[in-house]
Amino acid sequence: MEPAGEFVWDVRVAATATNVAHVFVRKHQFDVGVPLSFDREEERATALETALGALGAEIVVGLRRVARKHRLVVDDVEATVQARLRNALVYLGVIGEEGDPGIRQVRIRVYVTTAAPAAAVERVWQEVLATSPLICTFRHAVDLELTYKIIL
Amino acid sequence: MRPVLVGAVLYDPKVSVIWDIIREFFEANGCPIDVVFYTNYEMQVDALLQGHIDIAWNSPLAWLEAQRGSKGACRAIAMRDTDRDRVSHLVVRAGGPVRRLEDLRGCNVAVGAKDSPQGTLIPLGMLARHGLLPGKDFQVRRFDVLVGKHGDHVGGELDAFRCLDQGEADACAMLDLNWDSWCKDGTIPLRKYEVLATSEKFDHCVFTVRNDFSPALEKQWLDVLFSMSYDNPEHQRMMDMEGLKEWKPGRLSGFGPLQEAAEKLGFWEQPRR
Repeated sequence: MEPAGEFVWDVRVAATATNVAHVFVRKHQFDVGVPLSFDREEERATALETALGALGAEIVVGLRRVARKHRLVVDDVEATVQARLRNALVYLGVIGEEGDPGIRQVRIRVYVTTAAPAAAVERVWQEVLATSPLICTFRHAVDLELTYKIIL
Repeated sequence: MRPVLVGAVLYDPKVSVIWDIIREFFEANGCPIDVVFYTNYEMQVDALLQGHIDIAWNSPLAWLEAQRGSKGACRAIAMRDTDRDRVSHLVVRAGGPVRRLEDLRGCNVAVGAKDSPQGTLIPLGMLARHGLLPGKDFQVRRFDVLVGKHGDHVGGELDAFRCLDQGEADACAMLDLNWDSWCKDGTIPLRKYEVLATSEKFDHCVFTVRNDFSPALEKQWLDVLFSMSYDNPEHQRMMDMEGLKEWKPGRLSGFGPLQEAAEKLGFWEQPRR
């Protein structure tokens, strides 16, 4: 049973072809490609890349929103998100490989362009980390490395 | 028609992209294939000999292992143009004390993985032919990167070069293609290093089948393979990734240096890992 007042998020996902899923979210829709790919020319963002994109989006948008709440001016925020799997060869079904292809490590680098004092940015950063659902989830599940750099 | 089962060893997940393109091409040309990936050549050769797969994309050492395991009952049916007439180099410091092979007596020679034909076995076989035995006349610094993948991964050869570069070895071994590309990209500063000696020519990877593989299926499969063209942009992409311009018929004339080296070095008597 759900606790009273608990919000439930749901999306609907349909595999519309071999290599593409269509995601329906409220009034929005988007496509996701194969689970993961090693091909730079892959037609669509993969499921893994979409998840990493969501992680990065949560932190850069979260940072802007928290900064705004504290009336701190941020000119730009950008993040790079890198992930490593425990054993990508297992995903490919390589006979003799062991383990699983789960995410082993995520490294997020955030670049914040602001003239605000470093201590104020640090407070915003800590608040973002403490209030971001995906970050809080990944932090318990993988080796998550998060750093930010202030660009003046 | 049932799909032809083709085995390949993956040294890097990126290699799967090459096989995706090949699979699609065969499918589109009425000769479907299923690609089975193995983590090492030992497993792939066993699978070929036990009939689990029809065709194995074998390293030269895996070709010899298949022939030994089947008592000569395998055939080499196709290879890349670039698999033919390869050589390995022994590289030393330019202007250094090592001027000829004999000067390596008492020295350290850095090589790749223990099962790398190009990075270890053939270069050490060349030295043995000149009367220099590893462990007796010189010491071997071996870089066992991804043993079981027969040196497909260039990491062992690169580590061997770094060993030379750091002054911890007097010579190192590498495939000619690696020497060329590392000189070109600056990994090897040309003014500092030079080739001391070059091995005999040898052949590299080869598609291998058992003698009992259906001749009709083999012909159909080869017809499709040989119809791949570097002029086709999608094939060109795959061929660039796999390092070839054209598929050629398999041949047996280029495996002598490796066979001789493996025997001279007692490779077949050693544990594989």
